[in-house]
Amino acid sequence: MACHVCGLLVQARPGHHPHCPRCGSALHFRKPNSLSRTWALLLTAMMMYVPAMALPVMQTSAFGSTQGDTIMSGVIYFLKGGDWPLALVIFVASVMVPILKMMALIYLLISVQRHSRLRHRQRTVLYRITELMGRWSMVDVFVIAIMAALVQMGNLAQITPGLGAVAFASVVILTMLSALSFDPRLIWDHQEQLQHHE
Amino acid sequence: MQNSANQELIACHECDALQQATRLPPGGVARCICCGGHLYSNPKGGLDTPLALSISTLILFLVANTYPLMTLNVAGQSKDTTLSGASWALYQANMPELAAVVWLASVVTPALIIFCNLYILASLRFRLRLPGVRALLVWVTRLQPWGMMDVFMLGILVSLVKLSGMAEVKLGAGLYAFVALIFFFTASAARFEPHLLWRRLKGST
Repeated sequence: MACHVCGLLVQARPGHHPHCPRCGSALHFRKPNSLSRTWALLLTAMMMYVPAMALPVMQTSAFGSTQGDTIMSGVIYFLKGGDWPLALVIFVASVMVPILKMMALIYLLISVQRHSRLRHRQRTVLYRITELMGRWSMVDVFVIAIMAALVQMGNLAQITPGLGAVAFASVVILTMLSALSFDPRLIWDHQEQLQHHE
Repeated sequence: MQNSANQELIACHECDALQQATRLPPGGVARCICCGGHLYSNPKGGLDTPLALSISTLILFLVANTYPLMTLNVAGQSKDTTLSGASWALYQANMPELAAVVWLASVVTPALIIFCNLYILASLRFRLRLPGVRALLVWVTRLQPWGMMDVFMLGILVSLVKLSGMAEVKLGAGLYAFVALIFFFTASAARFEPHLLWRRLKGST
């Protein structure tokens, strides 16, 4: 079996919990409880996605009036202002990527649980993309932080972060953790069993 | 599953296919025969290039974190912010959890990664046998996805466009250092190959 951390191959012995002789990490054939952990984190992320979209991510107060902005109203604001490249960046990073990522993980989980024998390679690539894309959703949280740090002009103009930002950051972190607990080798396991039978 | 010195076997971390690890020419990349996943690479420049890049990254990191990123001018009032200042603003707005997340992703994790890389590379390059190299190499592998300086850069660009519509924005020295930092950080990360480092570590003890 291969060490998850440093990749060293170690002779498997049944009956005890071995540690990697090279880096000292615990050894497993597959990540432990991969499917239930991935499902649990994914479902929590899906629940948090609702307040992340519905609640305002930041409050802009200018000249005494306060206005709350959700992620979608930010996108629409840029679209109306003709800034469609920026609207696209925010829409893709904040709305599309989390949804696509959650859909990809659901598909991977269900296909593994149903012992699907289709498109192993494509599913592995899908997992790879899911793992790489996730972090980019944090961009909106960083934008809110920078805006809140700079726009501090007292009564003139002030930006404060909203609760939606907390929910949104938790969606990004939960989907990242969910993708990390999924073991892509599970995609191939049924294939191997089949070849052993032949 | 056996592992001899001259015929090393390697298991793909994505599909677990066992295959023989061959020596790569400098700059070569080994991909899995089964799923096409990245197995390992042999970056050009041995240990010297990643070490040099890591030192530059550290210097740029210090500059980028000391000087303000940008300054906003509205009707005679001005406000600037540093990298950590963005997290501090969230903390002051009564969102300590969010502040912690942003600070960890934009400052703490990148700092740890840079420090770990430097420590490991220096230890191997100068055969210093510093303590804790193995533990740090384990940690740096786990930390990798949580350092989000490149994402923060995109965040800076988006906020620049947003703010330039409302007020005058001046770019600070910190921002220039930060842009250079991203390039050096990515370049040194690309030349930091845990597979080779583990093999060297095995040979050194």
